[in-house]
Amino acid sequence: MSNNTQKVSLTDIFLTFAKIGLTGFGGGMAIVALVERVCVREKNWVSAEEFMHGLAFGQILGPFSLNICTFTGHHLRGIRGGVIAAIGFILPSFLLVTLLSWIYFTYNKLPQLQAALKGTNPVVIGLIVVVAIDMGRKQIKGSGGLLMALVAFAASVFLKLNAAWILLGAALWSLCFSYFRKRLT
Amino acid sequence: MTSLLTIAWIYIRIGLIFVGGGYVLIPLLNHIMVEQYHWLTLRQFLDGLALSQLTPGPLAMLATFTGFRAGGFPGALVATVCIFMPCVALMLVVGRNYDRLKRIDIISSTLAGLLPAVVGMVAAAAWNLGVSSLTGIKEVLILLVGFALFKWTKISPMVVIMGAGLVGLLLG
Repeated sequence: MSNNTQKVSLTDIFLTFAKIGLTGFGGGMAIVALVERVCVREKNWVSAEEFMHGLAFGQILGPFSLNICTFTGHHLRGIRGGVIAAIGFILPSFLLVTLLSWIYFTYNKLPQLQAALKGTNPVVIGLIVVVAIDMGRKQIKGSGGLLMALVAFAASVFLKLNAAWILLGAALWSLCFSYFRKRLT
Repeated sequence: MTSLLTIAWIYIRIGLIFVGGGYVLIPLLNHIMVEQYHWLTLRQFLDGLALSQLTPGPLAMLATFTGFRAGGFPGALVATVCIFMPCVALMLVVGRNYDRLKRIDIISSTLAGLLPAVVGMVAAAAWNLGVSSLTGIKEVLILLVGFALFKWTKISPMVVIMGAGLVGLLLG
């Protein structure tokens, strides 16, 4: 924890993640970008580095959008904080999907909500780009880092590799690097 | 109606093997829901997929939809809780041991070393989303306005996204 000595209340955690879960249209990375803005920048709940570690761990099992919320919540208030953050994040979508499912199975029609996404999608891209720039400025040092970022980008965009594989590869790369550096010095 | 216990068991198992993002889930759920249990027709499954992508939640919200079909509101609740239980539990374990892990030299330097890859992945997400949703000049304009707002103002990102949704509704 960076500089807040005061404990963040569970209500505060719940409300923050519920708000994120209510507005983060655009899928996984949109949520990640939102959590970064709100919990790292605005509230200083986690450091930028810890946040990215959480994101890396979050690739192991399940959706990383949910995982980063659980991780952040746990960081603030332990197990209860993590569970509350996860519930807060999922609840709005759960209620929305339940409502829409009910409409769907009763009337056999999908509500026309896609139009709204036409507006949110581009704006979410803007948010993700800003977050990527900010993260890059802080975390990419030297040409080795830049190369790794570019390879990860290309692997995801052109090879359509899964995020978990990319991170596993990056971890091996970085593991070898630090191993050899240790042996040399 | 399927018993809640059956639903719980099915979704916990899915939650346990659901590795590497949401897209693995599509063929998996399709197989279980449509072919094995006949809870949904293929058409309904695809509609449910579209529907769960309308929400901010992960693709796994498909569990809510299919659970609703299998057992009404209780079914939806049980399915949602069960599919997310394993990954939440795992993240709590990771979080608990995070400080200890970070103190191990080799782990902390590996973690520090892979961060550029995370940055690359975040950028790639923007790219992939851009390819599929920047279809015209209007969208590009919204993107630029959004970028400027996030970069140079302190307006809450939630407000900007909601505003953009309204713009989309009005234009659409």
